[in-house]
Amino acid sequence: MFEKINEIMWMDNGCLEPLYEIEDLDDRFLITFDLPYVDKDNINLYVAEDSIELEASMKKTLCWERWGTIQRKIIFNQFKKQIKLPEKVNPEKTTAWFKKGVLNIDLPKFEKKHLVIKI
Amino acid sequence: MNDKNLNSEVRVKVIEETDKRFNNPVIIVGFPEVGLVGTIATSFMLDKLNFEEIGYIDSELFPPLVVIHNGDIKNPVRIYSDKDGGIIVILSEIAISPSIISPLAESLVDWFKRKNASSVILLSGISVTNRLEIEEPECIGISNTKETKVMLKNADIEEMLEGFLIGIYPELLKRCKKEGVPGTLLLSQCFPNYPDPEAAASVLKSLQKLINIKIDLEELFVKGEEIKMKARDLMQQTRRVIGDIQKNIEQSLPIMYG
Repeated sequence: MFEKINEIMWMDNGCLEPLYEIEDLDDRFLITFDLPYVDKDNINLYVAEDSIELEASMKKTLCWERWGTIQRKIIFNQFKKQIKLPEKVNPEKTTAWFKKGVLNIDLPKFEKKHLVIKI
Repeated sequence: MNDKNLNSEVRVKVIEETDKRFNNPVIIVGFPEVGLVGTIATSFMLDKLNFEEIGYIDSELFPPLVVIHNGDIKNPVRIYSDKDGGIIVILSEIAISPSIISPLAESLVDWFKRKNASSVILLSGISVTNRLEIEEPECIGISNTKETKVMLKNADIEEMLEGFLIGIYPELLKRCKKEGVPGTLLLSQCFPNYPDPEAAASVLKSLQKLINIKIDLEELFVKGEEIKMKARDLMQQTRRVIGDIQKNIEQSLPIMYG
């Protein structure tokens, strides 16, 4: 556990990895991102069959003098995250909505074809 | 003054760095759990009420880290008190891993008894799947004595009647009951894995109905985004330690009638 505590979620290029959650609901994935300081209009979401990519600009550039566990100055203005999906999804049927600073993405999986085998 | 547990086998020590006398204090605890409700609530409370730091909790079981605040090295689990010694607050800036729960609860309840605590109030959250649809999170309570149950009722805080609780708080409640220390757990509806300042405001609103403190909660809403950003690292740690599955069990019903 201890080494994981020191893992950091930001990059040196002004981008920050958002907190996110993936839920596998059998026929779909539900992914949420926590995006403080972000307006709906500044979110770009790219969905492919096997991955999604999020870019979200913040309302303002944030500068923290002593950031988190690493205690050093950091400036950032964007969230960025790419997620590789464990199963293929249908980008055409993907929907997304943004509420209370949380982006919700509903990614339906491709329907699995089941054959009935006569015995 | 060091107020250490005498038993050398005790692996968690409560260290007091003051000679302050306490007058049957109310002890409030805020550990990181779902939504970081307890940590956000106690941090905010300490900031607004100007409590002084009076000690810390030390253990070989804690991660080997210190917290730097304004250039000072601090223990991540600290104890604060008001001027009169009537209220004590315990705040943790590290997640409490399962291996620490039992020895930490044992040492804390032992210390609560030695301080003659009039009541222990634990602040936390209860994760709800429809949190996005909830405008104002509700707070429910669980108490371990008849008297504190009445206090909950008089404060219009609904009592949790059925369910499971997991983590440090049920262990504290259980041990408090065994040792005759009145204990109450306040739980606000919250996001499971994202810092939730609104839920922290809800739990503080309920706390103010139980004890005589007054805190302007407006800033928790105004600075919600800033609080969320600052709490990211701790939320990430806490998620790893607690695990989604464990907390989801709390929404299930126990199988037995009791």
